[in-house]
Amino acid sequence: MVDLSVKIGNLHLKNPVLMASGTFGYGTEYRDYFDVSLLGGIITKTVTGKMREGNPMPRIVETPCGMLNSIGLANVGVDRFCQEKMPELDHLDTVVIVNVAGSTIEEYSEVVEKMQGYDRVDGFEINISCPNVKKGGLEFGTDPEITETVVSGVRKATDKTILVKLTPNVTDIVTIARASVNGGADGLSLINTVLGMGVDIETRKPHLARIVGGLSGPAIKPIALAKVYQVVKAISIPVIGIGGIMKWEDAVAFFIVGATAIQVGTLNFIEPDGAVKIIQGIERYCEKNGMRSIGELTGSLQKG
Amino acid sequence: MGAYHCQVIQQIQIDEHIYRLVLQAHEIAQTAYPGQFVHLRIADQLNPLLRRPFSIHRVLRDKGQIELLYRVIGRGTSLMKQTKPGDSYHLMGPLGKGFVFDGKFTTAIVVAGGMGVAPVFFLIDELLALGKSVIFFWGARCGSELFGVLQWNQSAIEIHLATEDGSQGYHGMVTDPLQTFLNHRSEDASLAGFVCGPRAMLKKIQLLSTRTSFEWQVSLEETMACGVGVCQGCAVMLKNEGFRMVCSDGPVFDLKNVAFDG
Repeated sequence: MVDLSVKIGNLHLKNPVLMASGTFGYGTEYRDYFDVSLLGGIITKTVTGKMREGNPMPRIVETPCGMLNSIGLANVGVDRFCQEKMPELDHLDTVVIVNVAGSTIEEYSEVVEKMQGYDRVDGFEINISCPNVKKGGLEFGTDPEITETVVSGVRKATDKTILVKLTPNVTDIVTIARASVNGGADGLSLINTVLGMGVDIETRKPHLARIVGGLSGPAIKPIALAKVYQVVKAISIPVIGIGGIMKWEDAVAFFIVGATAIQVGTLNFIEPDGAVKIIQGIERYCEKNGMRSIGELTGSLQKG
Repeated sequence: MGAYHCQVIQQIQIDEHIYRLVLQAHEIAQTAYPGQFVHLRIADQLNPLLRRPFSIHRVLRDKGQIELLYRVIGRGTSLMKQTKPGDSYHLMGPLGKGFVFDGKFTTAIVVAGGMGVAPVFFLIDELLALGKSVIFFWGARCGSELFGVLQWNQSAIEIHLATEDGSQGYHGMVTDPLQTFLNHRSEDASLAGFVCGPRAMLKKIQLLSTRTSFEWQVSLEETMACGVGVCQGCAVMLKNEGFRMVCSDGPVFDLKNVAFDG
């Protein structure tokens, strides 16, 4: 038996495989397809202060080995989330992390404060890829000072575990990672989607109504691996690797590079029980290589 | 609903670009109803990456089989046309909320345009089985895309065909004969409308439907990623409810309530 459990902040995950925000709803949509309690945990769709209708259509388009999306953080808002979605999460026998976003610095801590009292919420993942309305649409996560302010604000609002989800669309992701640590993050999730665009050459219109969107899927895995590698070298809190993980081999690569846990995203749309197969594959790999715990795999990258 | 490996029984070419795929899908065949769809994994590879949604074209309950109808357009459907009996596909389904038949109508007006005919055969089968009369308006580019219309008991179904090239039936859009029909029957409470087809056709029929006193249901098509309401990629704007998801709130909606221009 391989011990797959990991600890991030106050979170005890039975295994290091989480469902990425926006790809698993509120945990109930896939109940008919597999046993959700087999997962290390789920991260909910983003919750914001007020309801967001989301962006105009088209919102998604397939690309070679990937997909572009521009959903616009469509969600019911924190109050309805607590009333309507929270009771459904009670049935899940796994860790629940709520992804939180805001258009102002204050909105983040306000949303977290409203959920702080719910035992069902095990932790928060702070989505700093949201455009800052006060700073003219600049993404919070591209500015180290704002990042630190947002994270420290949330830190004051909760004693639960805080993860910060980092965007790859920056000059130096390590600067943002350090700012998150300074703000009081317990772990970092990376990477969010890569800025991308598609054009229909017949109509000369962009594929997405919002013109640019976020690229996910296997196409971005090498980018994600490099970012995880850079961040792990620079900071000492756990890193959760995300980006194009489609099979257990992909996941193992992230652990070797230094990830403490991983998130599965786009794969959920294609193979709902794909994450379970990944958990099994990681366990077999560790067994085969004589490892007693997943911790032995994390950061085991050899010199080239 | 569930996820199943389904074997290909046969693949029938209908015209140059249109194919009918017969799959052994016991569980789906037993529970599916018209307007629902399956989410099909084209191949176990990274490109094409996403599943493709297909309306259930027909159900053969006694054989435990379903049929899908598709036109070869892109990379995914080009791969599909190469599949042979014995190959298998991974399917999620039956998915979505299909047509409902709880109204008091006795005669269904069914309108299909192009590949919008995909869910319509299953719909007509079910309507006839329920003892309803059907008036079927079917428009396509050319006559070779119109098939199988003689299979139903002709005493229960009245069929109006239209082709854009005039090779069969009315020469022009199917909405023309529909409009002529509705001119006389707009207040007829024994009627209900069922529609599937390209957006331009749907908008035209929505306009016609607002002058009628009975209900119309529309099956919408949209690009999807997850197919189960998670990714929020396939939104449709409804006039008095805001965005809804085509995959999980639909694909069938009240035609009069759809805001086609956002």
